[in-house]
Amino acid sequence: MIKFQCMSRLWVLSVLCLFLTSCGEDSETIKITFIGPLTGGVSAGGLGGRNSADLAITLRNQAPDAKYKYELVSLDDECKPNVGVQVATKAAANKAIVAGVTHYCSAVAMGTVDVYHKFGLPVIVWGAVLPDITYGNDYLEIHRVNGTMINQNTVAAEFMIAQNFSSWSVIHDTTDYGKGHFKYFERALSESGGTILGTFGVNPDQQDFTAELTKIKALNPEVIYFGGLAPTGVRIRSQMNKLGMTQVFQGTSGIVSDAFIDGVGNLSEGVLAFREGAPTEKLPGGKMFMKAYEARNFNEPAEAYGAFAFAATNLIIDVIEQVGPDRKLIRDMLNETRGHESIVGPVTFDGNGQNTIAVITKYVIQDSEWVVWEDSEYASGKRFLK
Amino acid sequence: MDLGFFAQYLINGLVQGITYALVAVGFTLFFGVLDVIKFSHGDVLMLGAFTALAVFLGLDQLASPAWLSLIIMLCIGILAMGLLGALLCKFLVLPLKESPPLNTLLITLMFGSVIREAVRLFFPNGSNPKPFPALLPEASINWGNLNLRLDSVILIITGALAIVVTHLLIQKTRIGLAIRAVAQDEETARLMGIDFKKTVLVTFALGSGLAALSGISTGLYYQEINFSMGLMLGVIGFSAAVVGGLGSIYGAIVGGLLFAFLQTLGAIWFSVPAYKDVFAFAVIIILMAWRPTGLLADRSAERV
Amino acid sequence: MATNRVVGRPFCGTRVITMPDFKTKLAILLGVALSVVVLYGFLYLEREWEIGALLVMVPLGVYFLRRTNALTYYQHAAREMPRFTWISFVLGAVVLIMLLRHDDFALLMLTTVLLYATVSLGLTIQFGFVGVVNFSAVAFFGIGAYSMAALNQHFVFLPDLLIIFFSGAISALLGALLILPILRTRGHYAALITIAFGILFRTFLEVNDVLGGPQGLKVPALEMFGWNFGNSFPSEMGGGSFYVAYAIVALVLVAIVYLITRLIESSWLGLNMDSVRLDEVASAAFGINGPRWKIAAFMLGNCFAGLAGAVYAAMYGFIAPANFNLSDSLLLVSIVLLGGIGNAVAVIPAAFLIVVLPEKFQVIQEYRLLLFGIVVILILRFRPSGLMPRGLRQYFAGRFG
Repeated sequence: MIKFQCMSRLWVLSVLCLFLTSCGEDSETIKITFIGPLTGGVSAGGLGGRNSADLAITLRNQAPDAKYKYELVSLDDECKPNVGVQVATKAAANKAIVAGVTHYCSAVAMGTVDVYHKFGLPVIVWGAVLPDITYGNDYLEIHRVNGTMINQNTVAAEFMIAQNFSSWSVIHDTTDYGKGHFKYFERALSESGGTILGTFGVNPDQQDFTAELTKIKALNPEVIYFGGLAPTGVRIRSQMNKLGMTQVFQGTSGIVSDAFIDGVGNLSEGVLAFREGAPTEKLPGGKMFMKAYEARNFNEPAEAYGAFAFAATNLIIDVIEQVGPDRKLIRDMLNETRGHESIVGPVTFDGNGQNTIAVITKYVIQDSEWVVWEDSEYASGKRFLK
Repeated sequence: MDLGFFAQYLINGLVQGITYALVAVGFTLFFGVLDVIKFSHGDVLMLGAFTALAVFLGLDQLASPAWLSLIIMLCIGILAMGLLGALLCKFLVLPLKESPPLNTLLITLMFGSVIREAVRLFFPNGSNPKPFPALLPEASINWGNLNLRLDSVILIITGALAIVVTHLLIQKTRIGLAIRAVAQDEETARLMGIDFKKTVLVTFALGSGLAALSGISTGLYYQEINFSMGLMLGVIGFSAAVVGGLGSIYGAIVGGLLFAFLQTLGAIWFSVPAYKDVFAFAVIIILMAWRPTGLLADRSAERV
Repeated sequence: MATNRVVGRPFCGTRVITMPDFKTKLAILLGVALSVVVLYGFLYLEREWEIGALLVMVPLGVYFLRRTNALTYYQHAAREMPRFTWISFVLGAVVLIMLLRHDDFALLMLTTVLLYATVSLGLTIQFGFVGVVNFSAVAFFGIGAYSMAALNQHFVFLPDLLIIFFSGAISALLGALLILPILRTRGHYAALITIAFGILFRTFLEVNDVLGGPQGLKVPALEMFGWNFGNSFPSEMGGGSFYVAYAIVALVLVAIVYLITRLIESSWLGLNMDSVRLDEVASAAFGINGPRWKIAAFMLGNCFAGLAGAVYAAMYGFIAPANFNLSDSLLLVSIVLLGGIGNAVAVIPAAFLIVVLPEKFQVIQEYRLLLFGIVVILILRFRPSGLMPRGLRQYFAGRFG
């Protein structure tokens, strides 16, 4: 019993210690938050972005001429709006955090912009593509380095028409991402004169698409347009093969990832997709990024939007180096960004914080690799789509 | 409708229906012996597929022929999941036997999410979909608009065979007799000298092995597996088992095929195929109101 | 209070430990104070090692409390003076809110916990008392949230307090669609119906653009008693985050719902419900109308979920179909099971665990859901009937023993 009393006293003592030590003490490094999906279905994209942002921070901390030390606070939004609002509040309410690199999923970003505005945390969106995130409000705090789905689909429609395709069937997932893409693609296509034979909204969790594909087979379009992310895209492309369908498969930025090629295997040849931003591998900074990423031996690849997360983080750090760790100053300075050099091309924010120099790169898969269209054997006429 | 397309829908639906039925048989078995729902069933299925994939990647380096790889994959996948099922039963399900039955549901549910997260985190690059090797012959015949592939046919036959074998196992063998005895009345079965614990463990192993089989055949069919594939399959398998009537293997088959049929029908009817799940689940709610104990369960008078 | 007699009676019975009043009160207050301190710590601590230490300390602390019989003593004290306990816990919660008044995030989490607890109390009535399983709690929560958004948009003239009540009513009424199948089925069969409804609800919202589609809807802040909930408290009032107002609304909501739940439990209503759950046929033989109690419990529970959903929508300011998945319904069910089925008090600590723990695990980033799953498995494995299983109904009032 004495021993027991002794132990319980020890317990009370250690609880006290816990409380006392947790008060006070805050490091002098400058904190930047990263928010994206780190768990769940689309975590591949989120982890790639997290690693890239982390890389930007470490590289800067190693640089001798940096004024401050930086620290990344990564939070998981699970790609769910309610969790997103929670973590956004967590970051924004924390005075030690001066800026954020936030969100891969559009629905989450839509929910959190109000939070950032309310708490005055300047953020740069690194992956979410819904136009309304920047254009649906006039908050000074919200910026975005990647382009919107409008630009992407205009380029996609014009390019495909130029390749002499005229009929499409559309499969899109019913999330904001897929639905939005379909909306803007349809608009762009009707302007360029293509026809959509049939549209199929599908559930992103769905495994089997043979029923939808059989229906499409009956419609017999030249191209299948897919608006959605890599996991669903992999399933659809694989199952087309099951039904002996050989249509051209055209995707959106969501499938521009190694995961798509890995998942589809040999069937990936000749798949087309479009992504905002200059091709990373062709810019001098981009090569450096890819090398540094490789050198860090992350468990996950950077994925399509890793470069944007890297660019956004770097942009924030550059601004902090100029104006110091103050949210208001950072916000105003970010709004004045014009022609800032980055690994995704020059960044210029318009009045809504949207990067206007949104170069759209066309990609095609050639020998199990995403190749910029202009450099591919398809463009030079050695290989043919279909 | 064109006959070719009709046949195509039929074949697709049949492959899906058999997969659902295999999952549903598992639910029915567990419910039979222990009156519990094992919600990790879908995730065990996924883990079975990933185990097989890992085995394949290992064998690939030894350059073993496709048919041999396939057999080894099936054996290891099914055995490993059978073992996992038995362990799960021994350490998480049986100890909770005396507590409210819903708690078993919760603990298996959490176990399922642990499996899912573990695969995502610890399988190399596990958060992305993985290509599954096409090990079955890919020959196909074209009749008009029907593209009939040999692998689809093999998978339908394998699935049906597995269900028949399970049925025979339960109806004709000693252990099957024990399972049926336990399912009818645990106390009496114990009195008759049946090892209750062993019987339950065997049942769980059997059900989980079937899940592994359906996981591997899903992989072979779609040539792609991912860590979250078990979620929907689990829910659908559960629905199929319940609609068919828990405790009845025929019910599981009927439920599985019915669900696939409803989904296919929904996909054909609606311009937005995502409504097909709304349709299928709405029909299920109506069916349940009509036949409260499932389509095929014995409707004996309630014991008072 | 007219209901005094009803509330008081069932709690009062104890196995006779006569304690002087002030000592009982002291014990209760100590218990409340301890809870406030633990919860404060739970919401406040951030760093990896702190959370790790907390994870070790709390079970140890509970163990010590058990060893010293403090918990049993406390339970007796609480039964002795139910009203005093209840009021001091509400006051304790107010103190906690005041302590955290500048900490927006902690308040957001606290309010979320309270709202989830409200839904879970509804579930307690549904499957704890009358035995109707409901795996689509989040669908009813969502119906409440969407009603809030839609009514706010189209009927601007309605006061928000009324909208909250309407949301609860709409939720209960839509739930009535399921009454027929639910009455005809039982057990796992009934479970399937609600699972199907939950999936149906989410897919429908996502595919259909009428209510914002997958992009979701913005919901304006509440406005009640002339106060806009979007505003922070001015410094002359001592300052404080705008979440304080939401936390208080949620606290009032959970307190009322808790009171209703306890009233039902301790009166003949609860007795009837219990008998329907335990043996419907036998209770029918005694003239108890099973279906009527099932309908009542189902609708009341869904109404609670709708009320909580309405406040939730206004506080988060944004709702989208992706918030209302099957997995969230299962999370709500977990709260009830982890607490101990049918025990209304247990819902609150369990809601804390289920809502705040995954959040605290943010420090381990992508590993957090894995760890969360393991923790829940361990709790259930070693406390198979939940943290605080429901005790036996106290038949004898007063101090008979």
